[in-house]
Amino acid sequence: MRKFLIKIIIRLIVLVLIFSLASYIHVGMNKAEAQTEDIIRVGLPVPETGGASRWGTFCLRGALLAEQQINNTGGVLGKKIKIIKSDSQGIPDEAVSAAQRMIHRDKVHLFIAAMNSSETKALQPIVEEAKIPMVAAASSDPEITYRAGVGGFKWTFRNYPTEEIRTLVLLEYTIKEKGFSKFSMLAVDNDFGRSAVTFTQKYLPRFPNARFASFNFFSLKEVDFRPVLSKIKAAGSEVICLYTNTTETMQVMGRQMRELGLAGKVRIMGLGDITHPENIKALQEVLEGAIEVTLWQLQWDHPRSRQFVEDYNKMFSEAPNVLAYSYWETTHLVAQAIKNAKSLKNEDIYKALKAIKYESVMGTIYFDDHNQSNMPMVLLEVVNGKPVIKGTFWSRPDYPTKTKQ
Amino acid sequence: MNDLIIQQIANGIIIGFAYAMASVGLTMIFGVLRAINFAHGEYFMCGAFASWAVIHYFQLPYIISIPVSIIISAGIAVIISRIVMEPLVDAPFSTAVLATLGVYLILQNTTRLLFGGTYKFFSGGWLEMLTIMGVTIIEQRMVLIIITVAIFLFLEWMIRRTRIGKAMRAVAQNHEACIIVGINIELVTRFTFCLGVLLAALAGVLMSPIIVTIYPTMGEGMTFKAFAITVIGGMGNVRGTFLSAIFIGIVECFVAGFLGLQFREAVGFVALIIVLMWRPYGLFTLKGRF
Repeated sequence: MRKFLIKIIIRLIVLVLIFSLASYIHVGMNKAEAQTEDIIRVGLPVPETGGASRWGTFCLRGALLAEQQINNTGGVLGKKIKIIKSDSQGIPDEAVSAAQRMIHRDKVHLFIAAMNSSETKALQPIVEEAKIPMVAAASSDPEITYRAGVGGFKWTFRNYPTEEIRTLVLLEYTIKEKGFSKFSMLAVDNDFGRSAVTFTQKYLPRFPNARFASFNFFSLKEVDFRPVLSKIKAAGSEVICLYTNTTETMQVMGRQMRELGLAGKVRIMGLGDITHPENIKALQEVLEGAIEVTLWQLQWDHPRSRQFVEDYNKMFSEAPNVLAYSYWETTHLVAQAIKNAKSLKNEDIYKALKAIKYESVMGTIYFDDHNQSNMPMVLLEVVNGKPVIKGTFWSRPDYPTKTKQ
Repeated sequence: MNDLIIQQIANGIIIGFAYAMASVGLTMIFGVLRAINFAHGEYFMCGAFASWAVIHYFQLPYIISIPVSIIISAGIAVIISRIVMEPLVDAPFSTAVLATLGVYLILQNTTRLLFGGTYKFFSGGWLEMLTIMGVTIIEQRMVLIIITVAIFLFLEWMIRRTRIGKAMRAVAQNHEACIIVGINIELVTRFTFCLGVLLAALAGVLMSPIIVTIYPTMGEGMTFKAFAITVIGGMGNVRGTFLSAIFIGIVECFVAGFLGLQFREAVGFVALIIVLMWRPYGLFTLKGRF
C-alpha cells in the first residue's frame, strides 16, 4: 500500500512538472514573439457568426482595409499594424473571452470594440483593469459614454454617435419639418433597440401633438412581421420608427409591408441600413420618403470618402455601409494617435487619444471629458429613389448629473 | 377591431401552413422510428441553402432549384439514414437523441464551412401580389399553401391506401410482428426517414423567398417549433400535426399582434407545457400509442 501511494505521488509530481514546463515554454514563446515582432496589434472582437454577423463582417472589413492602407504607406512608427480578430458572436460573454485572450495571449496594444452596446459595456471593466485603451466604433447606447472618461472608465473612448441625439433629431425632423403626428415603433430586442425606445419616450413630451400608437420589439431572427404590421395599419400610423441591427429586417419587413398595402402609405424612419442603395433598389415604393440619421453616407462628397468607397468595392466586391466606414475611420484615428504618441506604451496612447484632433471625412474629431467624440451626423431622406442629404449637425450628449458604473 | 381580428386569423392560417409543411416530416419519423429527430430543422436549412446555391452559383431560375435541392437533400437523407437512423431502430431513446444531436452539429457546421456564417439574401421566388377574399399575399405563400394541402392529401392517401403506407403503420405499431409477417423494417425506416427529410427540405425551399434571408443556424428555431407542434398534435399523427400547426399559427399572430412580437416564440412552448400536463398524447390523438 505504501509503495503504491509513493508511486502515485511521484507520477502526480511528474505530471505537474510537465504541465508547468509546457506552460512556461508557451508563455515564453509568446513573450519572445511579442518582443521581437515589429507589429502594432489592434484587438477586434466582432460577431463573425450569429444574427449580427453581416454587420460584424462590415466592421471587420472596414478595419482590414485601413490596416492595408496604413501598412502600404509604411505603417506607424516604422511598424506594421495588425488587426487581431476574434468571433464574439454578438454575445457579451464571448466578447469578454475574446478580449481576455487578446490581452493575455496576443498582447494587443489597444482595442477597437465592440459592435453591440451590450458587448462594449461588458468590455469596459476588462480594459479598465488591463489599462488598455478601447475605442468603441459602433455601439450606440449612451450609457457607455456616461460611464467613460470622467464617468469612471478612463480607458474607454467612443467614436460613434449616441442613440439619444439620433432619436431627437429624427423626431424633430419628422414632426416639425414633415408634419407627421401618428407613429408606431418597431425596435430590435437588444440594448440598441431598447435604448432607442427609452430615448424616444424621453423626448416625446417635447412634441405634445405627436402620439405613439405602440412600442414593439422583435428578435433579430424574426421573419414574420405581418401581425404587428396589421396592428400598425389598424392604428392608422403615419410613420414606423424602425431600429434594427441588420439590413435583412428591412428586406423582410418591406416585402410584408407591400403585402399588407402599407407601401407608400406609411413612412419609415430610424436606423438599420434603411437608406442603403440595395434596400432602396429592392423596395423603392416602400422606402420612398424614408428618413435615416447616420454618421456617414455612401455618396458623401469628400475625396478620402470617395477613395474609401472605391477601395472597399475593389477589395470586397460590394459597397461599404456606415459600420465599415466607422471602423475604417477609427482604425486610421488610432493609427494617428499612436503616431502622435511616438510610443506603444498604453499610457502614452491614452494621452494621445485625449489630445487628438483628427481630420475625418466628416470634419475634425476630438474627444470630450467623457471620451466621447463630437460626431457630425447626416440626415438622409429618400427622394425619387435616391438618398438625399437634408442636413448635417454636430452632436453633444445630454450627460446626467450623476454617472453610474 | 373586427377587421384586425380577421386579419390576424388570416395571418395565422398563412403562417400555420408553413409550420405544417415543416413539421409533418418530424411526426412521421417519430411515428415509425420512435426517434425524435433533433436535426430536423437542419434538413429545412439544407433545402434552403441547396436552392440558394443553385440560384447564386449556377444562375439557374428558382423553379429549377426546387427539384435540384430535393435531389441533393435526398442524397443527404440516404447517407444519414444508412449510417445513423437505421441502426437506431430498437436502440434506447437516449441513443437516438445523442445521434440526431450529432447530425445537427455536423450539418450546421458543414454548411457554415461551405458558405460562411453570414446571412445570405435569397433572390428567388414568386413575389407578385395576389388578393384573395380581401387578403393580400405574395404568390409564394399561395404556392406554399397549395403544395402543403396537396402533400397532406397525398400522405393521407399513401398511409391509408398503399402497401408502403400500411407497412409504415405496422412498423409504428409493433416491430416484432412486422418481422414475423415479413415486413422489411430497414426499408420502411429508410423510406420514412427520407420522406421526412425531403418534406423538411421542401419546406425550406418554399419558405426561403418568404423569409428572404437564410443562414446556417436558421434550422434551430424550426426544430423546436416543429417539436412543439408535433407533440401538441400527437406524435406520429399527421392530421393532428396539420391542425396543431394552424392552431399555433393563429395563437402566435394574436399574441404578436396584441401583446408583442417579442412574446411570439413563447407561444409554442407554453402550449406544449399545457398539453403535456393535460393531454400528453396530443390534442388530436384519441389515446396514447406508445
